[in-house]
Amino acid sequence: MAWLIWRQHRAEVCVLAVLVGVFGLALLVLGTQAHDLFPGGPARCAGQAGVDEACAASFRGLDERYGYVENLLAAFYLVPVVIGAFLGAPLLARELEDGTWQLAWTQAVPRTRWLAAKLAALAGVTVALTGMFTAVLTWFREPFDAGEGRFQYDAFDLEGLVPVAYALFAFGVATAAGAILRRSLPAFGVAFGAFLAARMTVALLARPAYATPLTSVEPVPVGGSKDRAGHVADWMIERGYADATGRRLSATEFAELEGAADRAGTNLNQFLHARGVQQFGVYHPADRFWPFQLIETALFLTVAAVLIGVVVWRVRRRVI
Amino acid sequence: MTATEFALRTDGVGKRYRKGWALRDCTLDLPAGGVIALVGPNGAGKTTLLRLVVGLLAPSAGSVEVLGHDVTAGTPHTLSRVGFLAQEHPLYKRFTVAEMLRFGRACNLRFDQGLAERRLATLGIPLDRRAGTLSGGQQAQVALALALAKRPDLLVLDEPVASLDPLARHEFLQVLMGAVAEGGVTVLFSSHVVHELERVCDHLVVLDHGRVTLTGDIDTLLAEHRLLVGPRTATDLDRAGAVVQAVHSDRHTTLLVRDGAIPTAPGWQARPVALEELVLAYLRRPSASGVAAWRG
Repeated sequence: MAWLIWRQHRAEVCVLAVLVGVFGLALLVLGTQAHDLFPGGPARCAGQAGVDEACAASFRGLDERYGYVENLLAAFYLVPVVIGAFLGAPLLARELEDGTWQLAWTQAVPRTRWLAAKLAALAGVTVALTGMFTAVLTWFREPFDAGEGRFQYDAFDLEGLVPVAYALFAFGVATAAGAILRRSLPAFGVAFGAFLAARMTVALLARPAYATPLTSVEPVPVGGSKDRAGHVADWMIERGYADATGRRLSATEFAELEGAADRAGTNLNQFLHARGVQQFGVYHPADRFWPFQLIETALFLTVAAVLIGVVVWRVRRRVI
Repeated sequence: MTATEFALRTDGVGKRYRKGWALRDCTLDLPAGGVIALVGPNGAGKTTLLRLVVGLLAPSAGSVEVLGHDVTAGTPHTLSRVGFLAQEHPLYKRFTVAEMLRFGRACNLRFDQGLAERRLATLGIPLDRRAGTLSGGQQAQVALALALAKRPDLLVLDEPVASLDPLARHEFLQVLMGAVAEGGVTVLFSSHVVHELERVCDHLVVLDHGRVTLTGDIDTLLAEHRLLVGPRTATDLDRAGAVVQAVHSDRHTTLLVRDGAIPTAPGWQARPVALEELVLAYLRRPSASGVAAWRG
């Protein structure tokens, strides 16, 4: 079976391995240079320490020289779906479209064993490739994360465990779609669409609700809003102003206050401070990174498991 | 070995797809040894029946027993005793012929690589060619060599020669019959071509509109049936029960009857029926129940 799986899927595996290798190598080279900007390692500049002179210089250098790379990282959102769907779509669909399922399942290997071996091998390749790439990318982002935290969309979605779960989700969708549609290319398309829809829905709607966010309220400082250096790694969901009683101000109410400050000719911050206006922030603290990663991983893995279960059920029950 | 006296036994087997029943109430007892032809027009349910026999499909009703085992269990033992050649003889097109044989060896218990290599060498099919680049006839031969190298006790072929040119068809049947002559394998194959069956087959199953309309040993069937030619009659007389088909011309009536060999009525002449006439008569017979089943 091992030889057969390799022979049938070596083209996809090789193409993906080359892509992961090329991009991984590029990130390693650039990442080494970026890390060199931080004598003593980027972790030393995380959080409160980031305000000191040496770290500030490192961050400036990082932004000037490698800021463009960080912007390009968004393309890597698609890495899990490319790997997972590329390996999952042909698993059953190619056999069904070429008629070779009739050949494969009339040899002496029972179809459930055949399917289990294929699923295990290709899901394993999916995990290995996505895992390796994510490890490199997580390391590459260390200097950026030191300055920005790991909760931004271009960090959380590319680091840690979730990319592997996304890839297995794409693998599950592609395999199930291939079993039902009996065509590789449409199955790949379905997986791609489902991946984008699920990822956006979860990232924008579900993820902020994994835990009850914290709220910080403090009076508007006279000297203007200082950079919340200690909280830069937190995930700010919402911020705004509240009056002295803690009631949140709407945009129009705040605009009226601005107008009033203008007319009075006073500095806005002094004006707000004098009226007891407070600024609030709704956020998830930075230390929720791993709990949130685990929750999101579990979510995508559960859906992937259900989809694989459907495929196994269909093949066992000879629906195909 | 009493259990394997029958190559195939089905009991009330039916298969329903979303659009309706493709096969209904199919009960067959097919003996081991020899060649069994499954005949019927396109859409009669031949492929469905064969896929049920090799365990690619599960029946919606009834049971299928192959070589004494329930085929839906799909154990390696049962699977290894049944060879299957699907319609259009699918192969992994990007595999070389040698890789196809390696596939057979990797996926079977008693795969006879040497046998397959010898067969292919005799046919002049190079092992290093990709399967997809071979001619249709050669692809069919590779698929057949693969199925025979399993050393199956039952070899099932779905329309094996339908897509082949006459020469390739002849060569294919020659190899197939050679394998049968070597003994030990029961062959069940489907065809919509009735022509030439008589020469090749021992047993016949006629399938029409998802139902079995005729089954039996070919020699016995030919002995039981005969054509009666006599003066034109409006009714089919006292033979009504045994008449399979009645054809009326201006002056004569021709009856195909299944009555053994009871004496003919005065004025009637009897003559034996050819296998092709027999099959066609059964296929032409209106089978109201079958049609209703299909539509339902």
